[in-house]
Amino acid sequence: MASYYDIDDILVEEQRVPVAFQQAVNGVDIDPSAETHCVEPGSKVELPYWLAHELHLRKVAKMKVPACFNQRTKLELGADGASVDLRSRCLYFYEFGCKIAPLVGDRDMGSFLLSAFRTRYQKILAKAHNAAFTAHSKLLSYLTKEETNLYEAAQSSMAAFKKWRIGGPRFERASVLGRKRKEAN
Amino acid sequence: MAGQSDPNVSIFSGEEVEFMAEDEMVEIVPNMRMEPLNMLCGDFGPFYPQMATQVPMWLAIALKKRGKCTIRPPEWMSVENLTQILEAERESQAAFQVLPFHYVEISSLLFDYASGDIPDLYMVRSLINDIRDARFLKVESSLESFEDARSSAVKVKNLSAMEVNVVRPFVGRALQAFYKHGSPDLVPNPEAMSARRPQATDNIQRRPLRRR
Repeated sequence: MASYYDIDDILVEEQRVPVAFQQAVNGVDIDPSAETHCVEPGSKVELPYWLAHELHLRKVAKMKVPACFNQRTKLELGADGASVDLRSRCLYFYEFGCKIAPLVGDRDMGSFLLSAFRTRYQKILAKAHNAAFTAHSKLLSYLTKEETNLYEAAQSSMAAFKKWRIGGPRFERASVLGRKRKEAN
Repeated sequence: MAGQSDPNVSIFSGEEVEFMAEDEMVEIVPNMRMEPLNMLCGDFGPFYPQMATQVPMWLAIALKKRGKCTIRPPEWMSVENLTQILEAERESQAAFQVLPFHYVEISSLLFDYASGDIPDLYMVRSLINDIRDARFLKVESSLESFEDARSSAVKVKNLSAMEVNVVRPFVGRALQAFYKHGSPDLVPNPEAMSARRPQATDNIQRRPLRRR
């Protein structure tokens, strides 16, 4: 599903993750205002996931749970999952969570994501198939990328069905057919 | 189309579903004499005036357009039967009534091309619209319940082609998402998971599809 050229997958890996360096690294500028070209062990920075992931695997830095998966978000999602603005926290909330979970050693992440998606899924389901697109701009502004895709899939299939039901011209005449033949000379 | 960005989820357009429905058989009463037609999909005819015969929908429509026959509406399209079905649909929230697989398309085709051949046209049309709306609401409410179960599955019987087609992109995507988010806690070893994407571990044995 996630292929090399999947633009969403690439964007997921752009998300920032807080890491703490465990070893000193020479010749790296992560802070432009630093005086030396090296990173002390224990310094904390936010790096994109693709970089943090590699550093984590080489045991140079240790990943921490990003801000969008903090305790507060978990509590809010547990209280009223459907009306939490996940879009502003992380556009790729679920995909990012799936990638992060094994690295930060969070055992509950999978079930947390699943239960969050479940509650929000019901709301999307209730809205997606019946109302006009404009009526739900508020809901749409809360949804993550994946949920938006889901919503739009439902909307467009419903729109296609309505279009078919109302019907149009059953047979379209090719534009060539109506034309008169040109004079031979 | 909704499924275009993701090749795993494809949808048919309404017109395509209608095209498939045109293979269903209907009864026509020709008003002309004609030799049997030998088609790849079967032999139809011979046609004699006032002798009812079974032909596929597309042939019936082609003959109807030329004024060569009248189409007999199928038995389920009677007012009594439809009223009964509508009542039953409204009564039970879970079960769907048995209707032909292509009932939406067949009725719409008949309304378009053979409206003169249907007795109580307005009544039948509004009954079918009501049935369709009632059923669609029920589809939605039954989809709502399916993520309560641990297995992320739902059992909806007797859905028709058009109803399935409308919810297909949504359900397909939703199931994929449930599968994806459900899998990390199924895989206990975190090291193996970081090396291999959880989505790629799709090696659950599939049951062969049942023949229709």
